[in-house]
Amino acid sequence: MAAVTPRFGRALLRLFAVQGSYNYERMLGLGVGVAEEPLLRGLPAEGSASPYRAAVARGAHFFNAHPYLAGLAVGAAARAEHDGAPAELVERLRAALCGPLGSIGDRLVWAGWLPLLSGLALAAISLGAGWTAAVAFLVVYNIGHVALRAWALREGWKHGVRVASALNNPILQRGAVLAGPAMACAVGVALPLTAQFLASSFGGWGRAVIAAAAGAGFLGLYLLPGRLTGLRLGLGFAALALVAGWIWQ
Amino acid sequence: MSLEVLIALLGWGTLVGVDLVSLPQMMIARPLVAGTVAGAILGDLDAGLKLGVIFELLQYDILPVGAVRYPEYGPATVAAVATAHGAAGALGLGLGAVVGLVTGLLGGITMHLMRRINSRIVGAATAALESGDPRVLVRLHVGGLLRDFLRAAVVTALGLAVAWFVPPHVTGVLTPRGATVMAGAAVAAALAAGAAGTLRLVGRGPNLAWFAAGLGGGVVVAIWLR
Repeated sequence: MAAVTPRFGRALLRLFAVQGSYNYERMLGLGVGVAEEPLLRGLPAEGSASPYRAAVARGAHFFNAHPYLAGLAVGAAARAEHDGAPAELVERLRAALCGPLGSIGDRLVWAGWLPLLSGLALAAISLGAGWTAAVAFLVVYNIGHVALRAWALREGWKHGVRVASALNNPILQRGAVLAGPAMACAVGVALPLTAQFLASSFGGWGRAVIAAAAGAGFLGLYLLPGRLTGLRLGLGFAALALVAGWIWQ
Repeated sequence: MSLEVLIALLGWGTLVGVDLVSLPQMMIARPLVAGTVAGAILGDLDAGLKLGVIFELLQYDILPVGAVRYPEYGPATVAAVATAHGAAGALGLGLGAVVGLVTGLLGGITMHLMRRINSRIVGAATAALESGDPRVLVRLHVGGLLRDFLRAAVVTALGLAVAWFVPPHVTGVLTPRGATVMAGAAVAAALAAGAAGTLRLVGRGPNLAWFAAGLGGGVVVAIWLR
């Protein structure tokens, strides 16, 4: 492991840009290949059909998962290549990891850690914390973010083809279970506080109209998912407001 | 708005745009952060925080899973704050939100176009990639990063151009009442999107009770602080 450390650091740094060439053909594939490449450098590299070149080509094949957990596949695939695993096994390993890494990452980060901290920051700003809430959000979020990326790469490299055991890590499992309720509670607290914060400059009637419009918009968004989005609602409300403002001179 | 401030906003908006997907996803792209820093650059923290909160709520409507298409609210928030700074008061909030929404829509379209361009380039380079030459792989990847950098800069520049052009032309046209209605519309849309997006995340399982408990606690605190 000691000889691998500088390459490990390089792979970790490259993982921060894993979605840099995101495309509909290979999704994260190229980014995963670029991140994996430093870890493959110990493989025999002589000739155009060398194990190193074959592994680099495999590393850039289609891959899709949560970007923060992609390191698990990067480390595991690189370790499997070093252990001399057959090409088909490495391909199967990568394909098998897409679903679980996407699902756990989405639950843990996109639907847990991120909205949890965002909700707390919204509540703090509404209570007068100002810019310090945004800074605190950024710092705390990235402690978890960087730790997760580093853990994923390390565990992948440690376990190789047996990487599935890393997904049973109690912290990961417990985190995914706790993130949901914590997020729900934090954003629940934040919503009334932000409503008060944003509506504070309006009069009584104005607040009542905002509440009615927000209620109608909420129903529309909740009942017509996919057809009505926040963006469409916002632009629609703005158009209505322009007409109302023009009539109500 | 001085040239130095404009350049700083363009630089910040570009970094924010690249952060969303490409590098390093540290969430400076979140409207809360993007708006606060844009407000600090303009010396108008109040506008930065308010529009940051509005677009953060709109962001709850988006769950960036798989290859789903969504608006890009980071550079949009920067443009929104710049607009609000140029048109003070209620007009600033409403007009800023509208400019931000249009910029967000534009950002989303450019992201989709860029991914299609990336797909074509990667498809054309399949043989070279299959040769396992790491230089080809890195070149293609860095090319994608640079394209996203350019895309984010163009989106931010267009948003800032609108922010610079629109307020002086609208200030005389929209009455104070009209401006207030527009600001109210932006706040209502943001609250609706925030609530609906959160409820979709929460689902109908046990988390719903936690959401209800949080909502109740938030209402109590809001009433207590009035």
